[in-house]
Amino acid sequence: MLARCRAAMAACVVAVLCAASPTVAHAALPSPSNRLVNDYAGVLNKREAQRLEQRLVAFDDSTSNQILVIITPSLDGYEIMDYAQKIGDAWGVGQSDLKNGVVIVVKVRNETSGEVAIAPGYGLEGALPDVACRHIIDEVMIPRLAENEYYDGIVEALDVIEPLARGEYSFQDDQRRERREILIGTLVCAVLFIAVAIFLILYKNKKQPPKGDNLVWDDDDDAPMHGSRRSWWGTGAAGMGGMPRGGGFGGGSFGGGGFGGFGGGSFGGGGAHGKF
Amino acid sequence: MKKIYIVLIGIVAVIGLAIVWGIGVRNKLVGLDEQSAEKWSQVESAYQRRSDLIGNLVKTVQGAADFEKGTFTEVTNARANAGSVKLNPDELTEENIAAYQAAQDRLGSALNRAITVTVENYPQLTATQNFKDLQTQLEGTENRINVARQNFNEAVRHYNTAIRRFPNSIVANMSGFDKKGYFKSAEGAENAPEVEFNF
Repeated sequence: MLARCRAAMAACVVAVLCAASPTVAHAALPSPSNRLVNDYAGVLNKREAQRLEQRLVAFDDSTSNQILVIITPSLDGYEIMDYAQKIGDAWGVGQSDLKNGVVIVVKVRNETSGEVAIAPGYGLEGALPDVACRHIIDEVMIPRLAENEYYDGIVEALDVIEPLARGEYSFQDDQRRERREILIGTLVCAVLFIAVAIFLILYKNKKQPPKGDNLVWDDDDDAPMHGSRRSWWGTGAAGMGGMPRGGGFGGGSFGGGGFGGFGGGSFGGGGAHGKF
Repeated sequence: MKKIYIVLIGIVAVIGLAIVWGIGVRNKLVGLDEQSAEKWSQVESAYQRRSDLIGNLVKTVQGAADFEKGTFTEVTNARANAGSVKLNPDELTEENIAAYQAAQDRLGSALNRAITVTVENYPQLTATQNFKDLQTQLEGTENRINVARQNFNEAVRHYNTAIRRFPNSIVANMSGFDKKGYFKSAEGAENAPEVEFNF
């Protein structure tokens, strides 16, 4: 899909320009996954990958900053910064309004030398300027990566990156939290409204029968009808009382479940890279 | 008598629909026009960023004891020249963009040469933190320029396709939407312009 888009795009540009520009053959970028840690090179063991994923999901949940880690055996013909920026844009790492994503790409050392890049989205270019990325790479990551300690290198980089990103966008900036709160507020209001409406109707019903015995809905057996209605109302009230404590509003989506998906952030080419 | 009315109503209805359609198309084109203008401002700010960094670079290198003034003459001239070529979003024609790009590319290659000379002549300088940081920023700036240019080309491609496609082209012609120019990729510019520092 992406490859076809790119091909079509390239064809269009070439056609419009009527200029024969040398088109570099790129393989397609990896298609978006639903994880923040993507180890295509298989250098992390299961537990490491899981712990890293949990850490990044928790960071996303608490601050809305999304850090994507990609470990790959090959850059598919891209420059590493280009690769990081394109993936960040294509996958939409970070929130669309805050643009607070970070892409960390590690190309493992195999036949060719290892490479690493840190690319912050537009919104984090202030917190993670190029020079800061460069220092993290040179002083924190490369010493580890050069020893094939991929997990430690990434974790130690995150120890530096996370506080910087949190300083820029934290808990309060998380729009999703706000939206969730609005949603809950709306639900609570709706439930209250319905409860009041039901109460009013039943209250009216309760009051009316004694006034007019010959109402259509209440013509024959007065007493049994009354009884059943009251009991229905009773259970309704009990149900309402249980609601807030029951945590019925899809509690699963709040808790520390899986990654909720990329938010549509964008990247402008900032960041730094290094070799090892 | 009745038939004339029906025909008249029909004509009015068709004209009315055409106007409504035209307004819709025009609004869409305005949106695309705005988008490319926005992308253009990103291109300009990326180039501006580079221009600002050159000031820092010159200052850093001037601090070197045996600094020769000639090293950066070409860069400062090219910078002044590039700074004088400014484009408003409504004059993004093919020629204007080509001129803008030529001026910026001249600055880019002058900068590359100056850095090469600096690295050769002042090896002690290139080991300093200051210079390393500058080099990182310059690389980042080249990346940003590249991305901004790609995004601009993309926006212009959308816009140009929209104004050239029939029947939108009728509305575009009537309301004066002109074709915009692209950044052309120079040889090897598909990859990020390489500012190579080997030391």
